[in-house]
Amino acid sequence: MTDDDIRTEVRQWLAQNWDPGADRTGWTQRVFDAGWSAPSWEPEWGGRGLSDAQSRIVAAEFAAVGAYGTGADRADMLACTIHDLGTEEQKLRLIGPSVRGETRWCLLYSEPGAGSDLAGLRTRADRDGDDWVVNGQKVWTSFAAHADYGLLVARTDWDAAKHKGISFFIFPMRQAGVEVRPIHQITGESEFNEVFITDARVPHANLVGEPGGGWAVLQLALAHERRLMGDLARTSKSSGDLKPDSNSLIGMARAAGRLSDSHIRQEIAVVEGYAAVNRWNTRRAKNTADKAEAATLLSLGKIAMSRILHETARVQTEIAGGETMLAGPDHPVGDAITFRALNAYFTSIGGGTDQIQRNIVGERILGLPKEPEPYRDTAFRDLPH
Amino acid sequence: MSPVSTALTREQTDLRQTVADLMAKRSPQDEVRRLMAADGGYDPAVWAELAALGLLGLIIPEEFGGSDAGAAELAVVAEQMGRALLCAPYLSAAVLTPYLLLGIADAAECAEALPRIAAGELRATVAFAESGSARPPQHPGTTAVRTANGWSLTGEKTFVLDGVGAGRYYIHAESDSGVGIFAVDPGAAGLAVSALNTVDQTRRQARITLADTPARLIGAAGAAALDAALDRAAVALVAEQAGGTMQCVQMSTDYARTRYQFGRAIGSFQAIKHLCVDMLLEAESACSAARHVAAAFDAEEPDRLTDLALAQAFCSDAFCSVAAATIQVHGGIGFTWEHPAHLYLRRARTDAQIFGDPAWHRERYVRIREES
Repeated sequence: MTDDDIRTEVRQWLAQNWDPGADRTGWTQRVFDAGWSAPSWEPEWGGRGLSDAQSRIVAAEFAAVGAYGTGADRADMLACTIHDLGTEEQKLRLIGPSVRGETRWCLLYSEPGAGSDLAGLRTRADRDGDDWVVNGQKVWTSFAAHADYGLLVARTDWDAAKHKGISFFIFPMRQAGVEVRPIHQITGESEFNEVFITDARVPHANLVGEPGGGWAVLQLALAHERRLMGDLARTSKSSGDLKPDSNSLIGMARAAGRLSDSHIRQEIAVVEGYAAVNRWNTRRAKNTADKAEAATLLSLGKIAMSRILHETARVQTEIAGGETMLAGPDHPVGDAITFRALNAYFTSIGGGTDQIQRNIVGERILGLPKEPEPYRDTAFRDLPH
Repeated sequence: MSPVSTALTREQTDLRQTVADLMAKRSPQDEVRRLMAADGGYDPAVWAELAALGLLGLIIPEEFGGSDAGAAELAVVAEQMGRALLCAPYLSAAVLTPYLLLGIADAAECAEALPRIAAGELRATVAFAESGSARPPQHPGTTAVRTANGWSLTGEKTFVLDGVGAGRYYIHAESDSGVGIFAVDPGAAGLAVSALNTVDQTRRQARITLADTPARLIGAAGAAALDAALDRAAVALVAEQAGGTMQCVQMSTDYARTRYQFGRAIGSFQAIKHLCVDMLLEAESACSAARHVAAAFDAEEPDRLTDLALAQAFCSDAFCSVAAATIQVHGGIGFTWEHPAHLYLRRARTDAQIFGDPAWHRERYVRIREES
C-alpha cells in the first residue's frame, strides 16, 4: 500500500466512524479492531503491519480530526516493551488493555541513589513462590497516582555485577505497600512523584525477559522513549512547550524601556542566534538522507535546547532587572522569568543530565573512549557506596 | 516552518566530493605553509585548475561564460575550501567581484569582465573598507571627481582582500552625485598598492592609495549593490567558517583519541570529552547555518537578511571559539608554530572581521527586527 492509499483509507474510516461524542471504551475498541491502535504492529495487537512512517501518517490523520486512540506503537511504553520482548501470554493479557487505554502505566526507573548511574539501583525484588516481593524507593515518576502498572527495574541478584543483576517487571501499582508522594519542585509545581514500595508483590508472570536480563529490556524501553521524545521535539505542534519564548525578547526589552541599550541588543541577538541555529539543525536533520548526519544533529538537540532555555532566561533577567526579585500575580513579568530560569533545569537535568548526554555524544558520535570502569565485573554487593 | 531544504542534492554531493578531492591534492598543509611564505600568496596553477573546473565562474551566468550556480552550490564549494585553508583569492575574485558586477548590472562591464573572471584571465577585487572599520563607510573618504574623459579618485582604502597583483580594482568612492563603484586598472597614475602585514597569512590584504587616479564609473546604484554583494558573498564566508570549524573538531577528536596521558586516551577524560562535544555542537550549528542562509538566498526568503545577520555572528564566534579550543585540546603541541591549530585560529579571527564583526551583525539583526 502506498502512503497515499493509507491516507485515503484512514481518512475515509475516520469520516465513517469518528464521533467526538462517542463513549471512550467503545471508541478505542473500534480503533483497535480496525488496526489503527498501533498501525505498525500485527492485526492481533491492534495493528495492520504498516511501516513506521505510515504509522505517523495515521497519527496525523487522527490528529487532523481531533480523534484519539492511535500511536500506541510509538507512545505506549508498556505495550511497546511487551510487544517486543514479552511472552505470548503477556502480550495477550497486557497489550490490548494498554493500547485501548483501559490500563495506564508509569515508569519506575530512577532512584534517589541511582540517577545518572541508573544501573546502581538498589530497589530489590526477592522471589517468593509465584511472586517477587519488592522493596525500595523510586523517584521522578509521572502519573504514578493514576497508574495500574509500573515498568519496574529492580535488583534480583546482588552477587552479579552491577548491570547483570537487574530484572524488569510489569509491576501492579494498585496494592498495599505502594505509596505515591508528589515531589515539590523548585518551580513550585508538582509534576513528578516519589514511589515508596514496601513488601509489595509482583507475579513472576509479569517478569519481562530473564531474571538478571533487565538491563537489556530497559535499554529497549528507553530506546522507545527516546524515539518518542525525538518525535515530540520534531513536530512543531507538540514541541510548543519546549520552545523558548524568544520572539518576545525584543518586545520585552521595548516594554521595559531597554531596547536602546546596546548591551541588551547584543544579548538578544546572541540568544536568538542560538534558537535560530537549533531550528536550522533540526531542519537539516529532517531533510538529510545521510543517517549518520541526522543522528549527530539529533543527539546534540538536548544540549542545544538547554543552552537556549537557560540563556533566554538569563537575558530576560537582564532585561527585567530588579523586577525578577519579585514573585506572584502582582509581578507577572518577574514571576514568569523566574519560572523560566528555574524550569530550564527540567531540560538540562531531566531525561539524563546534559553531562551524561555529553558522554553519550562524545562516545557514540565522536568515538572518544569511555571512562575506565574498574568495577565493571565486581559483584554489586561489594561496590563502594 | 520555511519550505527551503538544506539537504544536499546528488549534484551538490558530487560537487562537494570534487572540491574535497581537489583540496586534498592541492591544499594539503605543506602546500598551505609554502603559499603562506610565497610572494603571490597563491598558486597560479591551482587557480587555473579552479577555472578549468568551472569554479571561478560558479556563480556567473552562462551568458558570461559561467555555470550559473546558486548560493547552495557556492556554499558547498566554500565549505571545502575553508576546511583546507585554501590559499587563493577565491572570495574576493570569484565571489564578491562577480556578485558586485551582477548587482550593478552594467552591461558593458559585465560582458567585458565576467567571462575573463570565469576563465581565470582576470583576477579583480573590491576595495570598500577604509581605516577604522571593515564595513564600507556610509560616506567614503575616498572621493571621485569628474574629469574630461572620466573620473579621478583620491583617497585611501584598506583591508582590501587580495589587493596585491589584482588585475582590476573596483573602488567604493563618493562623488557629487552620490556613492558609486569605480574601476581602476593596475598601473594607473597615482595608484599605490602595498601588502598589509596580516595575522592570517593564508588570506592576503592590501592598502590602496589613490591620488588623482583615473577611473571609470561602473553603473549607477553602486552603494546598494555593494551592500547586496557583501551579503551574497557572506554566504560563502559563513560556509568557509563552517568548514574550518568542522576541520578543527576533526583534528581535536582525532588527537583526543590517540594522545595518551595517565595511561588513557585524553578523550576518555570528561574534561576533554565534554569540550569536544561542545565544539561539535558549534561546528554542526555553523554548518546548518551556512546551508540555511544559502538556501534562503536561493529561495529569496523574506527573512534572509536577519537570518544572515544571525548566521554571520554565530559562525564568526563559533569558528573563533572552536579554533581556540582546538589549541587547548592539543596542549603543548598546539602551541607550536608547526602545528596547524593556530593557522585556523588566525583564519577564524580574520574571518570574524572582514565583512563586519559579530557585534555589528547582531546589531544589524536587532535593527531590522525592530523596524519590521
